[in-house]
Amino acid sequence: MSDNKFSVTVRVWRQAGPGGKGRMESYKVPDVSPDMSFLEMLDVLNEDLVRRDESPIAFDSDCREGICGCCGLVVNGDVHGPDEHSTVCQLHMRRFRDGDVITVEPWRVKSFPVLKDLVADRSSLDRIMAAGGYISVNTGAAPDANAIPVDKDDAEEAMDAAACIGCGACVAACPNGSAMLFTGAKISQLALLPQGKPEKARRALAMVEAMDAEGFGNCANEYECEAVCPKDVKVANIARMNREFLLGNFLSKR
Amino acid sequence: MDLGFVKRVIFTSIGRKFVMAVTGLALGAFIIVHLGANLLLMKGEESYNGYVALLLANPLILYAELGLAAIFLLHIATAVWVRWEDWRNAPSGYEERRWQGGRTLGSATMLYTAIAILAFLVYHIVDFRFGDHSVGFYQMVTAAFRDPVFVGIYVAGSLALALHLSHGMQSSFQTLGVNHPKYTPFIKFGGLLVALSMIGFALISVYFLLELDHRKAEHHYQVAATEAR
Repeated sequence: MSDNKFSVTVRVWRQAGPGGKGRMESYKVPDVSPDMSFLEMLDVLNEDLVRRDESPIAFDSDCREGICGCCGLVVNGDVHGPDEHSTVCQLHMRRFRDGDVITVEPWRVKSFPVLKDLVADRSSLDRIMAAGGYISVNTGAAPDANAIPVDKDDAEEAMDAAACIGCGACVAACPNGSAMLFTGAKISQLALLPQGKPEKARRALAMVEAMDAEGFGNCANEYECEAVCPKDVKVANIARMNREFLLGNFLSKR
Repeated sequence: MDLGFVKRVIFTSIGRKFVMAVTGLALGAFIIVHLGANLLLMKGEESYNGYVALLLANPLILYAELGLAAIFLLHIATAVWVRWEDWRNAPSGYEERRWQGGRTLGSATMLYTAIAILAFLVYHIVDFRFGDHSVGFYQMVTAAFRDPVFVGIYVAGSLALALHLSHGMQSSFQTLGVNHPKYTPFIKFGGLLVALSMIGFALISVYFLLELDHRKAEHHYQVAATEAR
């Protein structure tokens, strides 16, 4: 085991509950190993806080392998931290130096109200999904695999869109707080496949209207979302959503 | 008659951006034609005034002007609405925030270049459209171009326009849903070319400010005089 431990100071957003006023607080974290993930560093800090009878810092995490979309923090002004196309659980302390002061903030988006400390409520994204992010299938025996031919390129593109983990980084990074990369990916993953095509017009109309109702901002095509997306979801999906929505509006019977 | 589809254009985020994009592209087409007309200034008084006379002789010119004004107003109205919503919904309160490389100088300054262009447009319309046409259009324009203050404003206006279009042209296509691995690089390049060509407005005004047209005329005169000898 290497003994190259160092210490950092984290400045964390502390907020007692929903709607409350919060403030930044500083904590010193000694004995940080460069092999720790960023969240493990927060775990260590929390253990220390509990030992001192202080309230631990609330933050979201689940899989801690970059595939669930739970964690999401703004670290030193970078959404999901300084690594490109990464989640904050995949950020490691080796990215920092002894004596660094690290600013940690939650997503500060109107449609993601902060519940406590670093935990933001992203259920507005779930409500967009509930509006049409699915296909209607009769229950019964599973259909034969490969019964419906799918073009390989379309399948790949649908998979790339489906890689979206719904972490909300696109919204947190957007200058306007727009959720169009998320909604675009969710519309695209189905619109590209034959199973999703029958409902594509109604899906695009309903999901965009649900997105607007949640109070997200508008897309100005600045592509900050694409730059931070941990799954590298492309803005071509936003164009596809625009296309599906406009065609659905002007050409479908709805 | 179900007007639901019209309501969707007005009251949804993508609908409003659709109007902004379509009117933006129409204004882009207009400004290119405008630049073509300005280039006639360099061909001389006869060409320019001939073109203006041809335009004014068209009985539809008033309706074309009203249509253009309507496109401008739609573009501005949707932009104000969209911006107002963005301003209310934008993430705020980050103690520290770093842009991640998506924004460009053009995209980040759209609001400011828009305000600059609008201010210039008002000045431009009051000065030229409703100005004194009695001296002739060529004389009116070139006289203005010999005034350094006017040229300063004019150059600033065209630079703001170039910056605005550097994001606006390609952004319109994305908003309309046109994003294709084959064609998008060409659209982006074409958008930049259109944006760059807006500097042509500035160059034409500087051409007259430096009285390069006089020098050209002198040269012609000298050549003609030598040949006559």
